[in-house]
Amino acid sequence: MQNPAIEYDYTVAKWFSYLAILFGIVGMGVGVWIAFELAFPELNYVLGEYTLFSRLRPVHTNVVAYGFTLSGIWATWYYVGQRVLKVSLAESKFLQTIAKLHFWLYFIGALLAVGSLLIRYTTSKEYAQFEWPFDIVVVIIWVLWGISIFGLIGIRREKTLYISMWYYIATFLGVAMLYLFNNMEVPTYLITGMGDPLHSVSMYAGTNDAMVQWWFGHNAVAFVFTVPIIAMIYYYLPKESGQPVYSYKLSLLSFWGLMFVYLWAGGHHLIYSTVPDWMQTMGSVFSVILILPSWGSALNMLLTMKGEWGQLKENPLIKFMVLASTFYMLSTLEGPIQSIKSVNALAHFTDWIPGHVHDGTLGWVGFMIIAAIMHMAPRFYKREIYSKKLLEMQFWLQTTGIVLYFSSMWIAGITQGMMWRAVDQYGNLAYSFIDTVTVLHPYYTLRGIGGLFYFIGLFMWAYNFYKTMTAAKQIEKEPQFASPMAA
Amino acid sequence: MFGWLERNPFFFAVGVFVVIAFAGLIEIVPDFAQQSRPVVTAKPYSLLELAGRQVYIKDSCNACHSQLIRPFKSETDRYGMYSLNGEYAYDRPFLWGSKRTGPDLHRVGNYRTSDWHANHMWDPTSVVPGSIMPAYKHMFTNVTDLETAYAEALTVKKVFNVPYDKDMDGDGKVDVPLGSYEEAKKRAFEYALRVAEETKRQDLVDMVKAGKIPEIVALIAYLNRLK
Amino acid sequence: MDAKTLQGVMYIIFIIFLTFILYGYIVHLYRSEKKGKRNYEKYGKMALDDELTSPPVEPIEEEKSKESK
Repeated sequence: MQNPAIEYDYTVAKWFSYLAILFGIVGMGVGVWIAFELAFPELNYVLGEYTLFSRLRPVHTNVVAYGFTLSGIWATWYYVGQRVLKVSLAESKFLQTIAKLHFWLYFIGALLAVGSLLIRYTTSKEYAQFEWPFDIVVVIIWVLWGISIFGLIGIRREKTLYISMWYYIATFLGVAMLYLFNNMEVPTYLITGMGDPLHSVSMYAGTNDAMVQWWFGHNAVAFVFTVPIIAMIYYYLPKESGQPVYSYKLSLLSFWGLMFVYLWAGGHHLIYSTVPDWMQTMGSVFSVILILPSWGSALNMLLTMKGEWGQLKENPLIKFMVLASTFYMLSTLEGPIQSIKSVNALAHFTDWIPGHVHDGTLGWVGFMIIAAIMHMAPRFYKREIYSKKLLEMQFWLQTTGIVLYFSSMWIAGITQGMMWRAVDQYGNLAYSFIDTVTVLHPYYTLRGIGGLFYFIGLFMWAYNFYKTMTAAKQIEKEPQFASPMAA
Repeated sequence: MFGWLERNPFFFAVGVFVVIAFAGLIEIVPDFAQQSRPVVTAKPYSLLELAGRQVYIKDSCNACHSQLIRPFKSETDRYGMYSLNGEYAYDRPFLWGSKRTGPDLHRVGNYRTSDWHANHMWDPTSVVPGSIMPAYKHMFTNVTDLETAYAEALTVKKVFNVPYDKDMDGDGKVDVPLGSYEEAKKRAFEYALRVAEETKRQDLVDMVKAGKIPEIVALIAYLNRLK
Repeated sequence: MDAKTLQGVMYIIFIIFLTFILYGYIVHLYRSEKKGKRNYEKYGKMALDDELTSPPVEPIEEEKSKESK
């Protein structure tokens, strides 16, 4: 019934995949570097002021969140979107052009924005550091993506939207709302005609600013690190394993649960701060409730593999994805624990928090994007995956890296939290602040090593991808389920 | 109804939006007015302090230092009185931070001096052995951008009614003067000279006298103001 | 009624409303499957049979002929 000459158009999906690999290496490279800076402060001065920890930390977070992750999300969107709607981008010249525009504007915008951070342009609000002109570029990029989503939906052949589509749509809407409100700022030059044209001042002050920021910050995690990654796993895991989702109904229910509950949990970043008490409690309570929809999705994924666990041994991509869901379960349990008021009193401001973030980002987001891109590679190039062995090695190396990372940060965080509050027999503070810093040296070193393992794994991934693209054995037609791999 | 929603992407999107927007509406909006009320002692930042605050932001000091003292004995013993909502009324953006790689700074002005800060920012381990904080030597040569700071002060005065040039406490005197750029600049230089002299570093004093305020001086003025 | 109370009341009403909707949705999912109106689990196939040439689970052309509910 369709014109057999039409094929799925993977051009933009490929471009975004290259970018995900590039930004992954850059962003996590910076991350490893600053991790070692905490253990060995001399590393701060390697490139003068440009390698100071405080300068590079926003670069690390932004490149990983908005470079690596967004590229991964869009690589998969321009692949999954076409396939579950059963319509090719090639069928609409307009959408094809929008997609390419989307890519180029994003690429150029990302480079400029990161450059601006390096030369000290920042609003200081975490994950929303970019100054106002870049915010406008972000908005345009986002609108382009929106056109691409709803345009493709408009010409679809499949009437019902697959669950992954729901999650992509939610990502689009959620980030749009959060980003707009959190970046409300007044450019000072436009008001006064003086000073730096890039400078702006926040619309909100003090406690209000903090509330808006963490309502954003927490949910940026939701809508960049969780929702679109669930969209991915709902497509790639069933496709790679040949098993339909264990319970489609559960996936729908978890979706609405997640949408409703997630937004309330932002208050857990502000426990014992000056925001109203009821909001802190609300943040705590909803964080705990959040376990339900999160585990709903994760268990649904794991149960999809029911009776097919043999594949876990055979197929490294399945390994990546199953471990990703497991790390998702781990971090969605750890997060609520940290949101309990008495635990938060200990954990807040310590290294346990970055530890928690990295369970999720390295284990869940990173592994899922790696698996998704390696799943797509044979379909992009009509070739086998170059080396299964390399993929296996990458898996074990990176898993070891993550374990080193979070175990050292658990110990570091709890040690520091306990030392901050420790008192001697007369009730005086037992340690000066610097004591609680120097004690962390071994853990900082260990964390750096863990990060380094993961970083090396990225190069194995990039090499494997490149070889798949250029040198692997060609295949006749697109594989239906498991990706073919050479030993 | 549900079956219809699942097949109509537009109304589906509206449904998702309502569900996710709800939390923000209920949680944040109603408390807005309450949260922005300043405590009696809170005053807007003077031009030099505001410039210093911009330096603090530019070099992301908030990546490692919080400005939020929680109401626990272990924190009030270490840093002083716990933080109050109204103390932040003029903080745009807020600088609470999320990680204490270094200590909290919300009341650092109470227990550190200008010369301590200057030494510390030049070589942290000289005053805190074992410190892992890097030195910020470029702040000793970079010149403070007073004009942008003035633009910010004027913007918040115009747009958000921040009480510059006003008698806030009713004692018949203007509490935080801003005035024209020239006036504000003159006051900033007088203030900067005082701070530079307190640092006991001749090079900083010379720079201020030569008409350039080093960023470190503005930053110290800001840090001293945190009380 | 001051803003605080209004906030509380709105919150309760909306929570109850959404809970009601969510449970209604669960009932809807299972009932429509029991009555044989729709089979939700078949949508899981969308990820598996996703070639351009494979027939859609529910083609868009059918919309006119069959009412969606």
